[in-house]
Amino acid sequence: MNRKPSLAVQVFQYAILVVATIFALYPVWFVVLASGRGQRLFTLNVLGMFVPTEWSFENYRVMLFERPFLTWLKNSFFVAGFTTVFSLVVVTSAAFAISRFKFKGRGFLLLFMLALQTFPGVLSLGAVSLILAAIGLYGSHWGLIMAYTTGTLVFSTMNLKGYFDTIPIDLEEAAMIDGCGPIQSFLLVGLPLARPALAITALFAFLGAWGEFVFASVLVPAPDSMKMAVPAMYSLANSMSVPWGYFAAGFIIIIIPTIVVFLLSQRFLEAGLTLGGVKG
Amino acid sequence: MVGWSGRRKFFTILFFTFPTLLGILIFSVYPITVNTYISFTNRNKSHPNPDCEAGLNNIMVPTCWPMFREKAPKGLGTPYGIIEPWYKNYADVMGTLFSPEAGLALLSLVVAIVPLALTNFVDQRLERQIPRPISSSLVWIVGILVVVVLGWLLQVPKAFSTLMETGDFLVVVLRTLIFVVLRVPFSFVMGLVLALILNSNYLKGRTFFRVALFVPWAASSMAILMALVWQFFFREQGTINAVLTVLGLPTKVWLNDPVSAFAAIVVTDVWFSYSFYMVVILGALQSVPAEVYEAAEMDGAGWWRQLISITLPLIRPAILPATVLTSITAFQMFGTAYAITGGGPGVVGKPGATEFVMVYAFKQIFQTQNYGRATAFAVIIFLMLFSATLFSNRYLRITKGAYE
Repeated sequence: MNRKPSLAVQVFQYAILVVATIFALYPVWFVVLASGRGQRLFTLNVLGMFVPTEWSFENYRVMLFERPFLTWLKNSFFVAGFTTVFSLVVVTSAAFAISRFKFKGRGFLLLFMLALQTFPGVLSLGAVSLILAAIGLYGSHWGLIMAYTTGTLVFSTMNLKGYFDTIPIDLEEAAMIDGCGPIQSFLLVGLPLARPALAITALFAFLGAWGEFVFASVLVPAPDSMKMAVPAMYSLANSMSVPWGYFAAGFIIIIIPTIVVFLLSQRFLEAGLTLGGVKG
Repeated sequence: MVGWSGRRKFFTILFFTFPTLLGILIFSVYPITVNTYISFTNRNKSHPNPDCEAGLNNIMVPTCWPMFREKAPKGLGTPYGIIEPWYKNYADVMGTLFSPEAGLALLSLVVAIVPLALTNFVDQRLERQIPRPISSSLVWIVGILVVVVLGWLLQVPKAFSTLMETGDFLVVVLRTLIFVVLRVPFSFVMGLVLALILNSNYLKGRTFFRVALFVPWAASSMAILMALVWQFFFREQGTINAVLTVLGLPTKVWLNDPVSAFAAIVVTDVWFSYSFYMVVILGALQSVPAEVYEAAEMDGAGWWRQLISITLPLIRPAILPATVLTSITAFQMFGTAYAITGGGPGVVGKPGATEFVMVYAFKQIFQTQNYGRATAFAVIIFLMLFSATLFSNRYLRITKGAYE
């Protein structure tokens, strides 16, 4: 299949790629355009939807200095950061144990976790808010962090366990012969080897908390200075009194770093996701 | 392993897994239990004032426990208890699904489908005989003819509409299934085509295309905001209509028509999800050895034959788990539909054209304040998905390939 294709085939391939690229990039490009335009959106001409006909940084200025946008970003960053740290700490040890120790009910535990994952998240919201209300964390960032951390558990455990499985166990056994206990051999040998998978797990945990909408809007409903970025932006975009350009500018500020992080970790992602599959 | 067993092993394992187990117990198992309980009560608010004496409230609701009692919300709605009759929420969700007419309609649908399964069985049987007495296409033509005749005899369209009128449950689940059946293959085919092209060594600008085509996945981490952007394209003065006007074609209010609104959701969700498939397939393609293709070319296999007989089977272990996972995610899709159509268009009091499972549940809780009914719905959905997961694991060994 890796023979040089004929000219006609090549033209066809490029045509598909170009169409797909336009499909992929246009929505993001559109937001870039909207963020630099004045506040009008509904009086657009066709040209303005595809190329920048005018440009100003007014929307960015308003978002950054006249709205609590930076506070929202800070809140989101705080919550997503702590979620990532907690989730990594908790999940790594569990994934290691499930991967390394043979114990009764191991297969069942895995299957059980996978099946639990199918319960619609929106619907555990009521019960979660009950728990958080009982321990006094409803409406606080720490409650949200708890909910997010536990939300990442299943996927992260599965993912990390898959990676640990591909690291030969002999290394740790050698460490144990040299006098390490199981915990020591895990910390000194297993963990450093799993760095790429840890990076992926951290990325997913962070982005999951960073972009989540339903939990964030229900568990931390008010005040404005406590809100997460995504629900705050959502209500901004849907309110009639706020120009759409503001939303676009804020969205660009949030989405560009996200895309950059994703692109930088693309290699990791491919490796992390296909491990244990065919490469096995 | 060296020198450790018995109690020490037990405590080490417990030490390693305890935090995860505790988290899952509190934030997964407990919510499911409470939801099951609430589905038998007349609770109608998401933050009601619980009547701690009624039903099992003093056990199930944490704010009723002695140590948390003073934290209980006060003055929010009426207290709730066990509903009368206890299965009322389930009856509301299922509607008249268990009435004789609905049962008859369901039976006729099943009878009309049976010949297809029979055809497949006969086809497989004949496949084993050499030489094959009847060709495969002939068997299928006969089978489909039988189905059409049976469908006409049993008045399948009428039975179908009878079933659709039984209540919300079937309508919502069926629409969601149609959505999954449309979205997953679309994303798969698009991801596969792009991955196959990108995998070629002779492609110029490969890195650029890879990065560009990867962007939607990155954007999908903020799915709900991105969906708001997509919503603009389908508006009356949106991009699509503007382009159509320039081309001199008739325009349309896309989100007001059930079919085109549904299509809009599918297109948007394909945008969100195809790059996941692309990345998974690209990764899997790297591990397919080139010699296999050389051997196939020696035997005279064409491009299509190579794809069907070599590429797809070899990347199957990577595709299958990805497909199961994306199917489950698609079934639970919330953000896209909620942001673009909010579940509509449709008539008030009935689920709208794009009111998929999660949107329905969300609206029942937060808009119509029907918490009990929403939880009953969730329990049924959970049972369905739970058994689907168990089934796929048991018979397809999907989790085995990916995670073991």
